[in-house]
Amino acid sequence: MTSYYFDHAASAPRREAVTAAMAPWLQGVVANPSGAHHAARAAQRALEDAREAVAAHLGARPGEVVFTAGGTESCQLAVAGRALWARRTRGRVRLVISAVEHHAVLDAADWAARTLEGVCVEHAPVDRDGRVTPEGLARLLTPDTALVSVMTANNETGVLEPLEAVREAAARVPGCATHTDAVAAAPWLDLARASAGIDLVSVCAHKIGGPVNAGALVARGGVELDALVPGGGQERGRRGGTVDVAAAVGLAAALEGVARERAAVAERVGGYRDRIIAALGNLSGVRISAAGAARLPGTVHLTVEGVASDELLFVLDRSGVCASAAASCSSGASGPSHVLAAMGVGAGRARGSLRLSMGAETSSEEVDAVIALVTAAIERLRGD
Amino acid sequence: MRVLVAMSGGVDSSVAAAQLVEAGHEVVGATLKLWTGESDSGCCSVADAEDARRVAQVLGIDHHVFNYAEEFAERVVAPFVEDHRRGRSPNPCIECNRRVKFDLLVERARRLGFDALATGHHARVVRVGDRSRLARGVDERKDQSYVLGYLSRDDLERLVLPIGELTKDEVRSEAARRGLRTWDKPDSQDVCFIPASRGRAAFLAERLALTPAEVVDARSGEVVGELAAAELVSVGQRRGIAPGRDGERRYVARVDLVAGRVEVAPLEAILVREVVLEAGSLVVSGEPMADGRRVWAQCSAHGRPVAATLTRRDGWRVAFDEPVRPVAAGQSVVWYREDRPELVEGAGVAAGS
Repeated sequence: MTSYYFDHAASAPRREAVTAAMAPWLQGVVANPSGAHHAARAAQRALEDAREAVAAHLGARPGEVVFTAGGTESCQLAVAGRALWARRTRGRVRLVISAVEHHAVLDAADWAARTLEGVCVEHAPVDRDGRVTPEGLARLLTPDTALVSVMTANNETGVLEPLEAVREAAARVPGCATHTDAVAAAPWLDLARASAGIDLVSVCAHKIGGPVNAGALVARGGVELDALVPGGGQERGRRGGTVDVAAAVGLAAALEGVARERAAVAERVGGYRDRIIAALGNLSGVRISAAGAARLPGTVHLTVEGVASDELLFVLDRSGVCASAAASCSSGASGPSHVLAAMGVGAGRARGSLRLSMGAETSSEEVDAVIALVTAAIERLRGD
Repeated sequence: MRVLVAMSGGVDSSVAAAQLVEAGHEVVGATLKLWTGESDSGCCSVADAEDARRVAQVLGIDHHVFNYAEEFAERVVAPFVEDHRRGRSPNPCIECNRRVKFDLLVERARRLGFDALATGHHARVVRVGDRSRLARGVDERKDQSYVLGYLSRDDLERLVLPIGELTKDEVRSEAARRGLRTWDKPDSQDVCFIPASRGRAAFLAERLALTPAEVVDARSGEVVGELAAAELVSVGQRRGIAPGRDGERRYVARVDLVAGRVEVAPLEAILVREVVLEAGSLVVSGEPMADGRRVWAQCSAHGRPVAATLTRRDGWRVAFDEPVRPVAAGQSVVWYREDRPELVEGAGVAAGS
């Protein structure tokens, strides 16, 4: 059976250049970069080369890049680290995050509010396409707001958030920092431009062909936060623990790979997306999510009336298609999506959600095959 | 045959899947995600889905998680709470089997192109004449035919129960022999959506206003104690009821939620000879009901079958040959064939004794 990988948004295929770049740091002596000998200096050299490359791709100074073990940790450090610092220095703290954030941000904010006295969290509303509204945001920004977090693009629907408006709204509150989870956007956008003026930016490597457990937090312009893991004082005291040279090298190589091909891939894959939307959007009971908004080129999100997504995914899996309902819980079941709920999509319709996500190596033939397989699956399950 | 196996993550369904794979069937495992609230080992936790997935990996079969959380909340948990509000004694395992595992999953298996659904229940599907019939599992202490009593004839035609021929010990040694990590997992206990550490009272207290009650001696009318929640006791129950001054064991004779009154009496005073079945609740998968038909009737999951007669008088009743503890409204009666006591004939919900 041919396999069609249409779940790039969950994890993208590993790039050969990434594996090659990491190889020297995965075998033999890989010294601790904090050491004082020539082997340590070699590791340190590779680490700082990676830091400069990451900084260049993200529009930051090298000293503003904190390597983390993935995107979730990066978001946790931004949100919880900022909350810890603000509570320590200011007492009362409000965190404002969009209602459609990834759980990496949602749960970090909830953790802070639940654990730290004086910290509260507010969820900024979104319009029916899932974009935060400047008015909704402005209403929530009180003088004690220490952080506003709005993702660059949504991981489920691919919708682009209005970061410029977020930045402007936050700029009116002294001491209010901004964070964006750019994990989903990283394969498609020039993050230096897209996140310009945002204080904290989270990225990870495995959505762009790099290793898992590799990510970074950009902390621009001396934005203050407390470390969650102080031990050892690495990363300028913002993240303790020996830095993983291979992971840092892998993240840099993955960003490099994306930058080189991004424009051409976005144009080609965007065309595939439009083809899928034209074909599936015409089926009875199918609605394309956030159809009115600007979205990432690689993601198609839709809901099917009267079909449960776990059944649809089952049939697709049996016919070789790797896809997703977008919202997954750790037991492997698709749970109700908080993103669709925030957009005002009813629970019944949300149960039939499907996300097809593509990447650089997706081919036109695969797109045709998947359109046919998804069409057949939907028609079969709807009993058309 | 293409078979979908419901895998709870326990040892029984692990071995059920293994037996089917060994028999050469095309097998796919599915774990139902049922309860999203707090639970301990239960059948719904993440850890159990992981165990089921791991067993599927070892057996070399695909595994999926099906989300029935909304349906479980609607069809099992909400009626469980509502029954308590009305002073009834529900059996949520029966409801889950009936309204989720069989109503929904059998239908889904059919839609997804499977020939049959299998589960790890200790019961058997046997051929009698040209029909499939539900029979007790060979391990008497573990027999689960009672909680499957509402399966219809149609359900039984598409159901496989591979471990009904094995004792629990045999199931565990089969699992160990195959290196399945669930081999020594403890049996699930009680109600899967209620954490044992908190208990039924705390669970219900969050969902309805419980009724404090005075405990009254049914003969003397004397108040002999009090209870925090009358919803938590059922007629026939002794647990939670203090003995009389003379040390005499006392049982719940009557529960009056409106008056906040629980009457207690010695065992011989509360025994009954028959139970009325709710008309809309009857499911017959074996011989048709007939006035005067002799059967074995069982009134709880591991209750002793009692010789009885089906009688038709203002609806259906089960008349027992000997006095029995009263059957609380909401409990199920499952009856078995007189001359082949392993065969289920049908089931119905007690309207109260």
